[in-house]
Amino acid sequence: MKDARAVGVVANPASARDIRRLVAHGSSVTAHQKLNQLRRLMVGLGRTGVQQVLVMGDRSGIAIGLVEASGRPSGAGWPSVEIIDEDLTNTAADTVNATRRMVAAGVGVIVVLGGDGTHRLVADECGLTPIVAISTGTNNAFPIPLEPTVAGMAAGLVAGGRLDVERVARPAKMLEVRCPGSGRSERALVDVAILNTERIGSGAVWEPGTVEELFLCFAPPDGIGLSAIGGHLQPVDRHEPVGLAIRLAATGPPPSGAPTQRVAAPIGPGLIAEVDVASWSKLAVDQPVTAATTSGTVAIDGERMFRFDSELTVTLRADGPLVIDVAEAMEFAARSGLLTGPVAT
Amino acid sequence: MTELNQLDLYKEMVRIRQFEARVLNEYHADKSPAWDIGAGLIPGEMHLSAGQEPAAVGVCAHLKKGDAITAPHRPHHFALSHGVDMNAMMAEIYGRTTGLCKGKGGHMHLFDPENHFSCSGIIAQGYPVACGHAMAFKRKGTDHVAVAVAGEGAANQGAFHESLNLAALWNLPVVFVIEDNDWAISVPRSASTANTSNADRAAGYGMPGVRVENNDVEAVFEAAGAAIDRARAGEGPSLLEIHTVRLWGHFEGDAQAYRGAELETLDERDPIPAYAAAIGLSDDQVAAIKAEADSEVDAAVRFALDSPVPTADDALLHVFA
Ligand SMILES: Cc1ncc(C[n+]2csc(CCOP(=O)(O)OP(=O)(O)O)c2C)c(N)n1
Ligand SMILES: [Mg+2]
Repeated sequence: MKDARAVGVVANPASARDIRRLVAHGSSVTAHQKLNQLRRLMVGLGRTGVQQVLVMGDRSGIAIGLVEASGRPSGAGWPSVEIIDEDLTNTAADTVNATRRMVAAGVGVIVVLGGDGTHRLVADECGLTPIVAISTGTNNAFPIPLEPTVAGMAAGLVAGGRLDVERVARPAKMLEVRCPGSGRSERALVDVAILNTERIGSGAVWEPGTVEELFLCFAPPDGIGLSAIGGHLQPVDRHEPVGLAIRLAATGPPPSGAPTQRVAAPIGPGLIAEVDVASWSKLAVDQPVTAATTSGTVAIDGERMFRFDSELTVTLRADGPLVIDVAEAMEFAARSGLLTGPVAT
Repeated sequence: MTELNQLDLYKEMVRIRQFEARVLNEYHADKSPAWDIGAGLIPGEMHLSAGQEPAAVGVCAHLKKGDAITAPHRPHHFALSHGVDMNAMMAEIYGRTTGLCKGKGGHMHLFDPENHFSCSGIIAQGYPVACGHAMAFKRKGTDHVAVAVAGEGAANQGAFHESLNLAALWNLPVVFVIEDNDWAISVPRSASTANTSNADRAAGYGMPGVRVENNDVEAVFEAAGAAIDRARAGEGPSLLEIHTVRLWGHFEGDAQAYRGAELETLDERDPIPAYAAAIGLSDDQVAAIKAEADSEVDAAVRFALDSPVPTADDALLHVFA
């Protein structure tokens, strides 16, 4: 049983602080800006009847700042704020833990502020609890920039049952990558990239010459990041039941194929790369494909994650997290007059 | 960017650690009580950097002869990685005439003009000095960079902010490195600082700011390489905050009662065994690398002990008045 009046909030303190500010023109989103976004979110949630917010704890002062702000006069009308701060590690594990606890507490919606990586961690744990995906940063394909005040209103209307989740939320696709040799398995919300580098280093992927193969959940031509490469070969939207598999003609050793097409792709903020493609094909849902590459490093949603030296399979799945489309939700709210009414006399 | 060589990174971290472990032993060998800092062959305060090696090694891997570093009161790891002579460093620590400052400076005042290395016990004072180096490099038309290093506590000093402002205004080839080890003596960051990351402060001055988590030497290497390349190319200053760990006391003799339960977790957070495991070194390789470092350190200690102690007359040399 969901508690319609409670909403979970995950705001990644570490987003928009990585090497992309040096190797590309990534902008910085400060902890104070993130807190400010949460304040705006609280107004939207409070105004639509949400009583309680469970917020992920962090060591960047965001959650504590929110509790403190909720006690000020400007916090009147906000939901009460409770921090989930057991076993904080200051790593991605905090997102996983907090999401689990939110689901266990039965929140109606989880609002996520972060990048592709943050959303992926939430997606792995949120089950059937719908999410609102807000991008904080400039290099994200899955979450989009949204005004938190409005996103909060949409989340509140869904959590309170005034908007039907079936109408305004749809499941995202995910890619499952498995390495039977090592037993490792991960899921991606946007892309799985197979790199010919041995290094994990700072995590971020910004050198297209290191990418051998690319698997995409969706490929928007107006997107940013590795998925933009696919967007210009074969646009695929978020809800079509297909994905893309691309072999790049990387500079590296075989299995790189001979290039057949060159794509000018915006693979990072202020970073447009000429990428040579050897071949590409569509991926069907639930049909595993085997990667041509048998050793290297796997990057999930733009982050180098693990090395492998045996066969890898990648499968497109249609059962990712339920994502609330805020534009659709607000349009439905408007048509249903949920936020309008007669003037009290 | 310099090619990453995992074995070199590891060896350099071990070299620093063995140097400091030896200084730790020698320092305490003739001090009783431990905080009687005037006693013994190594006089004065001693701030060791064990745990913070990834910061120095990851950054210095990209520096070349003629690049400058200004370090704070905890300088050994950056000095060694930047190529300061180990013998002359050890002699300075022992207060001998063959030391970098002829034995008058001690461990917080290691000046090596040839390598453009300096440090100071006055926290954050290295920031303006690095801007000076950087301005000189720029005016001379070289592609050298200056690296300013200090702790997260020092980043609350005015000199830090003044330096970021000027470096941004004049587009200087300087990289500001903050080693965030969670503590400024006994003060946790949360009790002193309104910003939780100095990457955020960099944004306020219009320069890129990056925070490297997990004390990971390869992540530091990549971020530092990108920052240093930018500076060399004339793209201006940037800031790198490295979350690291201070495995030992603020200074030697610090009982660290303020750290509570954190003390029990420190061994697990030691970056050196973790990196040996990550790059798959065998026990034999680890032992051999350590032995090689120890023999260099032994020689440095011998050099220092064989060197003359300054005489009373030396006190009048190399002074202004
Ligand atoms: C200008 C100045 N103020 C105060 C001190 C005393 N002091 C020495 S070290 C230190 C704390 C430094 O903390 P941090 O910058 O985090 O460096 P860490 O010791 O952690 O490496 C202080 C306050 C000093 N040396 N200089
Ligand atoms: Mg400190």
